Amino acid sequence: MSTVDRREFLKASALAAATAAAARASGISLPILEPQAAPSSSAQALRWDKAPCRFCGTGCHVMVGTENGRVVAIQGDQKAEVNKGLLCVKGYHVGLALYGRDRLTQPMLRTQGRLVPISWDKALDIVADRIAADPGRFAIYGSGQWTIGEGYAANKFIKAGLGSNLIDANPRLCMASAVTGFISTFGVDEPPGVYDDLDRCDVAILWGNNMAEMHPVLFSRLVDRRARGEKVVIIDLTTRRTRTSELADQVLFFKPQGDLAIANGIAHQLVKNGTCDTAFVAAHCNFRRLGEPGADGAQPDMLGVPMTFEEYAKALEPYTPQRVEELSGVPAESIVMLGDLFGRRDRRINSLWCMGMNQHTRGTAINCLVHGIHLLSGHFGKPGDAATSLTGQPSACGTAREVGTLCHLLPGGLSVTNPGHRAIAEKHWNLEPGRLSGRIGLHAVELFKRFSTPTDQGGDITTVWVQVTNPAHTIPDLNHSIRRKAQLADKFLIVSDVYPTATTELADLVLPSAMWVEKNGMYGNSERRTQHWFKMVEPPGEARDDAWQMIAVSRRLFDRGVPGMRDKDGRWLFHTADSAGKEIPIWEWKRYYSDTVVDERLFDEYRAFSRHKHKDLAPYREYVKARGLRWPVVQNSDGEWKETRWRFTEGSDPYVAKGKGFQFYHSVTKDDRALIWFRPYEPPPEVPDAEYPFWLCTGRVLEHWHSGTMTRRIPQLHRAMPKAYVEMNHLDARALGVRSGEMVTVRSRRGEVDLPVWLGGRGDPRPGEVFVPFFDENPLINRVTLAAYDPYSKQPDYKKCAVAVVPKA
Amino acid sequence: MVHDACIRQRSGHDMSEHDSVSRRSLLRGGLLRRGVAAVTGEITGESKGTTGAAPTSADEPRGAHAASRATLPVHRPPGAVDERSFLGGCTRCGDCIRACPADAIVLAPPRFREAAGTPMIDPSVAPCIMCADTPCISACKPAVLRRDQPLTMARASILKHACLAWNGSFCSVCSERCPVQGAIAIDAGRPRILEERCTGCGVCAFVCPAPGSAIMVMPLQDRPAVRPSGAEP
Repeated sequence: MSTVDRREFLKASALAAATAAAARASGISLPILEPQAAPSSSAQALRWDKAPCRFCGTGCHVMVGTENGRVVAIQGDQKAEVNKGLLCVKGYHVGLALYGRDRLTQPMLRTQGRLVPISWDKALDIVADRIAADPGRFAIYGSGQWTIGEGYAANKFIKAGLGSNLIDANPRLCMASAVTGFISTFGVDEPPGVYDDLDRCDVAILWGNNMAEMHPVLFSRLVDRRARGEKVVIIDLTTRRTRTSELADQVLFFKPQGDLAIANGIAHQLVKNGTCDTAFVAAHCNFRRLGEPGADGAQPDMLGVPMTFEEYAKALEPYTPQRVEELSGVPAESIVMLGDLFGRRDRRINSLWCMGMNQHTRGTAINCLVHGIHLLSGHFGKPGDAATSLTGQPSACGTAREVGTLCHLLPGGLSVTNPGHRAIAEKHWNLEPGRLSGRIGLHAVELFKRFSTPTDQGGDITTVWVQVTNPAHTIPDLNHSIRRKAQLADKFLIVSDVYPTATTELADLVLPSAMWVEKNGMYGNSERRTQHWFKMVEPPGEARDDAWQMIAVSRRLFDRGVPGMRDKDGRWLFHTADSAGKEIPIWEWKRYYSDTVVDERLFDEYRAFSRHKHKDLAPYREYVKARGLRWPVVQNSDGEWKETRWRFTEGSDPYVAKGKGFQFYHSVTKDDRALIWFRPYEPPPEVPDAEYPFWLCTGRVLEHWHSGTMTRRIPQLHRAMPKAYVEMNHLDARALGVRSGEMVTVRSRRGEVDLPVWLGGRGDPRPGEVFVPFFDENPLINRVTLAAYDPYSKQPDYKKCAVAVVPKA
Repeated sequence: MVHDACIRQRSGHDMSEHDSVSRRSLLRGGLLRRGVAAVTGEITGESKGTTGAAPTSADEPRGAHAASRATLPVHRPPGAVDERSFLGGCTRCGDCIRACPADAIVLAPPRFREAAGTPMIDPSVAPCIMCADTPCISACKPAVLRRDQPLTMARASILKHACLAWNGSFCSVCSERCPVQGAIAIDAGRPRILEERCTGCGVCAFVCPAPGSAIMVMPLQDRPAVRPSGAEP
């Protein structure tokens, strides 16, 4: 083999199918041959197994090659429907995320300012002590990277075990407005459409969505159709030129917040031209607007009040193309073009969005408006006709939204404020009636505000346990939130993570976690696809599963007699028995993987919740076999488990009655109809002025995922994108007298950071706007961002605030 | 360029230090052997301890490739005169090495035979960043690096079968980070090197995140001879 030259080798490994992320003792990258191309001896040594990628919400599957207890190779999974063997630059290197040199390998307690190693026993005792001392001031903060089992364990621990709803997760910063949009429109969360729409649409409209960098594999799925001779028109609605714009047929630049005006402008055109799908609307939709604010200025109810079509049409009257041009900056003729496009029945239109629409102080409104124009024009529920939000995290849907690891949810899409829903959860969890709290807990921004406020000044959260996320990097307006914690002696921060982060820097107790294929797990992607993988390698040192950590603390509290940790028959909440009925001590790490599959036990318990909102999940073993299944997954009469592509569509969704065509069976109005909302244009909370003359937008880049704690430890990715920068328009740079590479201070009313300018780089903002990626922990751009959030979703707006840009002397 | 500073500081960055072995070996075919060895389990932790400074790394065996050729083309710093004059004129004083702000110039290791000990660039370890003021040339007293010589050192070429952008994924890093304006164009999302502009600095190869790297940098075989002094460049 050693005589094969490099060129032949690379050919043999056929990059698109097989690549090379591998790591041996030194943690370096080594290509590996495909199993079939490799010598037979090595084929025996290498073991391949499937897993969803660790990074974004696309849910690509990878094949993971392991040898001698190490992940040594990654290749795109040809059998996966989502990615068909393709990966993005992050995915090809995902195996290396395990092997950064500074993995956390032992519990550490902050002692006289330094983190000092301690035993797991001691660490768990400390956690149990903090919780037992004041359970009402203890909160959990997790993420859409929790596996389904981990999120379920944490949710049950706090809601059933401690009787509080003090749990939230970072999808609050990420997908919350998509959730309120789906609930306001369809009465139930998550997209009706699927990725198949990308293969079937004639037109893709990207609403503030840089798909080429954020969901590259899905964008490939769209763009590759052109190479096959198919015609697909891509319309990029954006505030800055991006890599996506380069492949778009039309690029329409809008002013920040202008998306609200554009959507209303399209609806106005449909109504004015008489090109609404009147039959669809008459059969399947109601109209809705917000009610009046409460006497005390309280927000009107999210589910609104009815309005007639005539009232709806009248409300849209001001949104003429000319007026929309004034508000959004998009030329009037382009608004007319978009209106005409939606008015055509012979075109399949797929709207796609991610953070542009969700991280928005009117995020719920813009989500509702985009669903509204699709419903109004009948571009719904047919292959290619869909409005689909793309998620940023591998299990924002599967864990945070479906398992309900948020302050207002119970598993399966049930609500803590609904007494009937609480009763269902109490039944599944075998609790006394009334045990669960009906009081909504604290959403992320508020939770960390309370945690960073002195206890005697209303800061009534004193202990937070963070798992799988990095809030000291990603919460907006950091200087006035969690980063203040450093000055507060009576606050206690527990962080379970795999690497040192901006959050472990503030932590009092650090717990080393197992990650990805070091544990069993399940994720749920953007298209309702639930995916499974098995543990393939051992975690390093004393790192252990997040779910085990939660379960072990629960057991300690049970042993101490904390009443919430037992069900109404006195059994421990996580009681697990073998086939003979004998209890398995899953709180002991050495028994956690040896006697049973805890992941399966948690999933099968959770699965019972999935039927109440028609989000039916199949048994665990079905996911072991499949490359993910899209819910509702319902068993056929012949015993086969069948997934659902288009939800609410007859013939695809098993819950739609025969002859209905479409049925919105969780309708807010209880009449099987979806809601078309009117929501007005409203200005953003902070706009540039003389003192802070630029709009700041923040976001991700192709090479790095979220706060970069994994991807920045992958040498190839780090080298390709080593540090943050500020992109600005060359006209603004010239006016300021700065050139590419020169340092500037980006300053808002809340904080400042120093960054090098990058002109004509990957993105090109419009004059008056700047863009900064947030992956870099050295200049923390969230010291600058604004904590204003949508009143319904509580999701902050990271996409627009006012800043000054000052050249460094 | 924004990222020049990062390239300069790279050796001090704890996250990127340890990978240099793979990239280095990669560009010389050492990767293949190592890759196969990884499969067959012949080599374990071989790379440990080889993550040191550049000259040590350049001493690594080059495999079959090296044995087959008597003289290896040398990746000289910019503005180098033809190889014969270079070998005759270079005093091995090390001034260019000290002048280089990117630590890109190193001493050629013994396997370069008669070129051993003369200055060269190993772009997989640290590429030339194409300083506008060419401090290496200014520092060269014997004038084997000259302003009146072309700055071109090598030619980069994209291995399309290994490039992410040419294989259905998205990437534009080589073009973004190329210090020579217009040397790497992006057409329909895919990079293309304009040979007449490429100086062979190697930044693209250094930053390429494709598994196994998708850019090959070949030192120039024949550089123009020194012009008689006083002649127009």
